[in-house]
Formats: sequence, C-alpha cells, structure tokens
Amino acid sequence: MNLITLILAASTLFVMAIVLSYILGWADKAFHVEVDERVELIIEELPAVNCGSCGYIGCNEYADAIVLKAEVVNRCTVGGDSCTQAIAGIMGVDANASIPLRAIVHCGAVYEQRLGRNKYDGENGCIAANLVTDVQGCIFGCLGFGDCKRSCDYDAIRIVDGLSRIDYEKCIGCGACAKICPRNIITITAFTHKRMLAVECSNNDKSKEVTKVCTVGCLGCGACTRVSDMFFIENNLSTIKYENYDDDKMDELIKASERCPKKRIIFVGPPLKEGETEKDQKSDKVITPDFKTTVDDTEWRG
Amino acid sequence: MEFIAEIFLIAIGAALINNFVLYYFVGICPFIGVSKEVETAIGMGFAVTFVMVIASFISWSITTFILIPGAPISSFVAGFFLTPEKAASIDLTILSYIVYIFAIASSVQFVEMFVKKSYPLLYRSFGVFLPLITTNCAILFACLTIMSNVAGIDNPENAWGLSKAITLALFGGMGFTLAIVIMSGIREELNFADVPEPFKGAAITLIIAGILAMAFMGFTGVDSGIRRLLL
Repeated sequence: MNLITLILAASTLFVMAIVLSYILGWADKAFHVEVDERVELIIEELPAVNCGSCGYIGCNEYADAIVLKAEVVNRCTVGGDSCTQAIAGIMGVDANASIPLRAIVHCGAVYEQRLGRNKYDGENGCIAANLVTDVQGCIFGCLGFGDCKRSCDYDAIRIVDGLSRIDYEKCIGCGACAKICPRNIITITAFTHKRMLAVECSNNDKSKEVTKVCTVGCLGCGACTRVSDMFFIENNLSTIKYENYDDDKMDELIKASERCPKKRIIFVGPPLKEGETEKDQKSDKVITPDFKTTVDDTEWRG
Repeated sequence: MEFIAEIFLIAIGAALINNFVLYYFVGICPFIGVSKEVETAIGMGFAVTFVMVIASFISWSITTFILIPGAPISSFVAGFFLTPEKAASIDLTILSYIVYIFAIASSVQFVEMFVKKSYPLLYRSFGVFLPLITTNCAILFACLTIMSNVAGIDNPENAWGLSKAITLALFGGMGFTLAIVIMSGIREELNFADVPEPFKGAAITLIIAGILAMAFMGFTGVDSGIRRLLL
C-alpha cells in the first residue's frame, strides 16, 4: 500500500512534468520573438544579480540598452573587468573607449563676489539653507554649505571660499552631487576634451537684477553669441551647444571666452601642464574607468 | 438559485470583502513593487489574474482527480493492485504544495512568453516582476483556498466544483487588480504631494497600504447581509 502510494505520487509528478514541458515547448516555438543575438550573449555574460548598480532595473534591461541605445559597456560593477571585456568583445568595441562624464559647477562666484549675503545659523546644509530667504542675494548660485562635498564618494569636491570646486583628477561623473544640489547648478557633461569650456553661472534674471546680487554673474549680453554660433542665450543666460563641441571650433571658443565682459566662460578640467595652452587640447575619447574611493565612510570605530 | 447565490458570494468575498491583498496581506510584493504607474499596475493585475485562473484550473483538476482520497484517476490506477476500499483510501494531498508550485511556475512561463510576443512594451515595464509572479503568494493562496474546499471536508457533496474554483481565482485576481490600481493611482498623485521628509518613499507607501486596508474593512459583514437576502 505504501509502495503503491509512493509510485502513484512519483508518476503523478512525472506525467505532469511531461505534459507541462510539452505545452511550454510548444509555446516557446509558437511565441518565439526574434531578438538581437548579441542581447542574449550579453545576458549570458552579465552576473544576473539584478542589483541595479548600472542604473537599470536589471541585467536584461542593461543588456538591451547596450545593444539598442549604445550604452557604455563598463557599467557593471559586479561583473568587473572580465565582464566588461567579454561584453566589449561581443559588441566589437574597445572596452575603454567611452566619453567620460564629469561634473561642472555652474557658478563661479566666491564669497566676496556674492552680494546680499546674510548670516545663517540654521542647519548646516544647502538643502536646509535653500528653504530660507535672504541667505544670499542670488537665488540661483552656489550656497557653499557643502551638500555636494558630503555626497561625493570619491573625495572630488572641495569648498573653496564658499564655492564648490570639482577636482577633475578624482571626479568619475557618478552624478551624486548633481542629484543632491537643491539649486541644480551641477550638471554632468560629456568631456570630449580633457578641459571643457563651461558657463559658470546659472542666473536666469535680467542683467539689472544680476548686477545687484553678483559682481561676476552672466548678464545675458550675448557677446559670446556674436563671436561663435556655439553659444545661445536662454533665459538671459549664455549656454553652450555641447553637441557641436569639436576640435576645429577651438579658436571661436577661446575668442568667445576672452570676449565675455564678466569672464564667466572659462575652461574647466584637470590643470594644464607647463607650456600647454587651451588650444593644444585634442579630443581624447579613451579614458580608463577607475572605480576607487578614497573616502572612509566608517562612522563607528570600535 | 442557491448555486448562483453561492457563486455570487464567493465572487464578492474574493474581490471585496476578503480581498487577497488588503485583507489577507498576500501578494504584497507586486502590490508595492509595480504600483508606481496606473498602466503598469493594470497590466500586472491582469497578468496575475490570468496566471491565477490557469493555475487554479490546473490545481483544482489535479486535486479533484488525483490527490484527494477516492479521486477517480488515482483509485483507478491503484485498483489494479489493491482492493477497492484500500485503493479509495489513498491520500496524495501531501503532494499539493509541489504540484501547485509546479502549475504556477509553468503558467507564469507561458504568460511570460505570451506577453513577450504580444505586448513587448508591457513586457519591458514589468521587468523582473513578471517572473516574480511565480513566487507571488496570492496565487498559491488561491490554490490552497481551493484545496481546503475540495480536500478533507466532511461531506463530499459540499466540495467545490470547477466553476466555484474558477470564480474564486477570477474574482480574487480582480480584487488584486482593484487594489493595485487604487494604490498606483494614489502613488501617482503622491508625486505632487508635499510629503514630510521622514515619510518619503517606502514609509508613506506602507502607511497608504494600511489606510487602504482599513478602508476595505468597511466591507466586513456585507456577505452575511447578502446571504440572508439570497438564501
């Protein structure tokens, strides 16, 4: 009797397995979708832990993005270098060939240049200070309380004279600072050149209001647009067309930056070597990603 | 008439009074995970309903015809080796969990292939949550509810037929869809609400789920009123 029960139980599952796998096998053929075979190959290479550190929901979405949207291949921190190399092999690209992203702070005024500043005794942080009026005259510019500095895991931001400065030797373009800045003055920009031209101001007001709150703010005068078609004025603020940024535009760009009455259009990036000028910059598209941190986040030391 | 009344009571009980999500707290994973947009939530609700109906159909059939003592197929096969009384007493309900998980996993696979072929956009917005229906406890809960009404009851005449089982699954799935769509509607509005800092994100979502569950407690007792009215 017990043996019969055992055999019946086993054969029940066995028959179920055969029937269901037959149905699923038929469905697999009937509902077959043609996908790019590279997607499947990449899914095989990815670690399949669906951690989301690449910025996508799961490994499958990242694989789709690599093939369909030409996403960079080195986003997977779990798979590491071997995974990157394997995906690069499938996609036929150089594993290191990706335009690096770097943060740019769109404010260039230090404490003395920012007018209408008042003493602030509240919680030490930009998000809190941003809720209070009259901490400083300019409602667009950097507050200098260092939320971006604390958000940076790579020790790449310093606050100098109340203005956050990016250390481009350390910045990896993760975007943590751009996310946390309550005034949204930090942007993540593709650095096609080692040093890039940037408009270091975010003030959208007319020139009369700007001169009231800042001695160096962009007036929206349009001097740069008259020199080069790389610039346009949007909301009384000079803006660079980064999509047209190219080697042979270098002369125009340098001229425009010299023409700016407030000297707000300046080159940012790692410091120049001795004897090198801005014009010597050539677009270098190869940069090795380096995911290292120098910050010790340990709060409890036993 | 009595049969229709019972079907109606099962339907309204599964969908509203004893809502799977808000009364029994099963199926919370997609309820929180996929309730960010109404459209995705509707898709998820229908996918769960569909899987629930297929899985319930398979598990009701297997429970009734194979697993319970005296089931036709198992006692027929056992009849070759044993006396009829002994053959009728063979009880395979111990297999229920394995069989149900088996049935659910296969139906999820089937639905995934179907959705991938027919609705690629919906497939993309589901992401990892579609395979996760496999471990959705709401579906196993529906299967186990059906089993408890088929196996191990005193009077075999009261055992649920296929129609009742499918009704429970269909309206249980509808109730799930209702709950997840209400939730996603609220969460869409929540994007524009001024939520206090400590409550942002998961905290306010769980609070809303709790308030919704309390609101659904208002349906308690409706079934006894309907029962008096109909029977």
